[in-house]
Amino acid sequence: MAAGPGLGAEELDLLEKSLGLTKGNKYGVQGERKTPVLQTNSGPSLTGLTTIATHLVKQAKKEQLLGSNAEEKAIVRQWLEYRVTQIDGQSNKDDIRIILKDLNLYLEDKVYVTGNNFTLADILMYYGLHSIIADLTVQEKEKYLNVSRWFNHIQHYPGVRQHLSNIVFIKNRLYTNVH
Amino acid sequence: MLPSCLRTPSFPLQTLYTYPENWRAFKALIAAQYSGAKIKVLSTPPQFHFGQTNKTPEFLKKFPVGKVPAFEGDDGFCVFESNAIAHYVGNDELRGSTKEAAAQIIQWVSFADSDIVPPASTWVFPTLGIMHYNKQATEYAKEEVKRILGVLDSHLKTRTFLVGERVTLADITVVCTLLWLYKQVLEPSFRQPYDNVNRWFVTCINQPQFKAVLGEVKLCEKMAQFDAKKFAENQPKKDVPKKEKPVKEEKKQQQEKKEENKPEPEEELDECEQALASEPKSKDPFAHLPKSPFIMDEFKRKYSNEDTLTVALPYFWEHFDKEGWSIWYAEYRFPEELSQAFMSCNLITGMFQRLDKLRKNAFASVILFGTNNSSSISGVWVFRGQELAFPLSPDWQVDYESYAWRKLDATSEECKTLVKEYYLWDGEFAHVGKAFNQGKIFK
Ligand SMILES: N[C@@H](CCC(=O)N[C@@H](CS)C(=O)NCC(=O)O)C(=O)O
Repeated sequence: MAAGPGLGAEELDLLEKSLGLTKGNKYGVQGERKTPVLQTNSGPSLTGLTTIATHLVKQAKKEQLLGSNAEEKAIVRQWLEYRVTQIDGQSNKDDIRIILKDLNLYLEDKVYVTGNNFTLADILMYYGLHSIIADLTVQEKEKYLNVSRWFNHIQHYPGVRQHLSNIVFIKNRLYTNVH
Repeated sequence: MLPSCLRTPSFPLQTLYTYPENWRAFKALIAAQYSGAKIKVLSTPPQFHFGQTNKTPEFLKKFPVGKVPAFEGDDGFCVFESNAIAHYVGNDELRGSTKEAAAQIIQWVSFADSDIVPPASTWVFPTLGIMHYNKQATEYAKEEVKRILGVLDSHLKTRTFLVGERVTLADITVVCTLLWLYKQVLEPSFRQPYDNVNRWFVTCINQPQFKAVLGEVKLCEKMAQFDAKKFAENQPKKDVPKKEKPVKEEKKQQQEKKEENKPEPEEELDECEQALASEPKSKDPFAHLPKSPFIMDEFKRKYSNEDTLTVALPYFWEHFDKEGWSIWYAEYRFPEELSQAFMSCNLITGMFQRLDKLRKNAFASVILFGTNNSSSISGVWVFRGQELAFPLSPDWQVDYESYAWRKLDATSEECKTLVKEYYLWDGEFAHVGKAFNQGKIFK
């Protein structure tokens, strides 16, 4: 199980489309970690996934995706940071297992990453985890039940998945003793 | 551009008739939030007066059942039954976009009505003071609620919403059906084992479309208990002496339940009762009778608290008003069916329960004579007015028809003797020919 290179700049194309933006920006990359860069017409260039994604959300006038109150805004930022610092570039099996375990616990009582509302954090966590989840066995998916439920919900959220592969989850549990 | 007051107003011409805060109406209103349908709600006088407007010929012509919620479209289309209304005002996504999804949605909607509504009502209504509390029925309802939450919990372990990945009528319906439970009785420790249900429920009620209708829903912090005071306030027809009634009633009911050895089926009572209770009462079937100087409650107090022979009986005859009241002798018509004494007793208490609403206007002593396989039941009844009240309610017919009723002449010797012996549970009972076994008082 390897996380692979991730989606890179392609992710921002996906995000643009899922936000209903049709213009299509051109992105460059910077440095060893291939950090995306967006050269805006008007101002300075924007660097980094979270910065650009936040910019795109505002451009699409979907600010509610950044959180609808102070607390939710903080939680969105927190998970965007988690996504970039913990998930991206992660290829160590044990580390991935820890991420999934933590996330599984966190999502036990939540439908969305922030709780009750769909936000940018769900979208970017979904993109960031796609290759990891795609590699899971049926039994592993069942083990990380809450992650699976959340992931499946987000991949069905209108406009999010696009051409990414649809990952199949079995809703009737097969390994009921696995917790 | 025209000033706004001159532009054609877009008044919604679709109407939902209901009483205020009706959870059944919420289903349709939330569905409308999702579909964007504009609905005008008529729930208060003068436009809609629950209990009156829905009984008028105009209303019944459109909605023959006379119940709410009821929906009338701008094109004159009418539909009743809350689930049908929600279906109509919703959109395709809510109704399920595949045959399978649509079927599963109907499955959960039906499950809500058949499996959740009855125990939820049995448990919650007494806490709202709109239904009498029965311990065993409530305990049984709690177990049922646990079973239902268990079913939902394992379903929702792997699912975000009940059907598919989006909110559907299944979620709207089941959430609204669980609403009173979550508000009144599902305290944190009770709901804690059902985390998946809690997650789903909380997410649903926080969706903007739910919030727009339900407002902020406060989850129960401490399980509400039977509200005897509110119940009494909601029952203006009953005024049996307060100090002894609740205890005795409950004991009697429990004892009877034990004998039946099975939980009582949920009563067909609903929260309409609450709405009705808050309406000014105009339904007293005895309201047309002239006032009577005989105060039944005073007699009942004497009968309950004082010696029957030396105080209650003399009081009765001193104050009895034969114009305003009548005395009846009733005999069970099928004594050959009375094989076991305890069954006969159930028969009597069951009858008393069905006649509950008559308590203010009646008193009776009913006696079981004889022993197993050779017994009879008869009693002396005092009723408000000169007619039997039974034809007034279908609930009362059962017992009415099982007894032979004979009006007694209050001035006759026969009447004096029967009243004395039946009130005392003692005497010759010359007309019976069997020994006194046990008696029950309706008061
Ligand atoms: N199954 C029906 C129940 C409707 C119902 O029971 N309505 C009550 C109010 S909660 C009513 O209008 N009762 C008036 C009456 O029975 O006269 C639905 O879901 O719409």
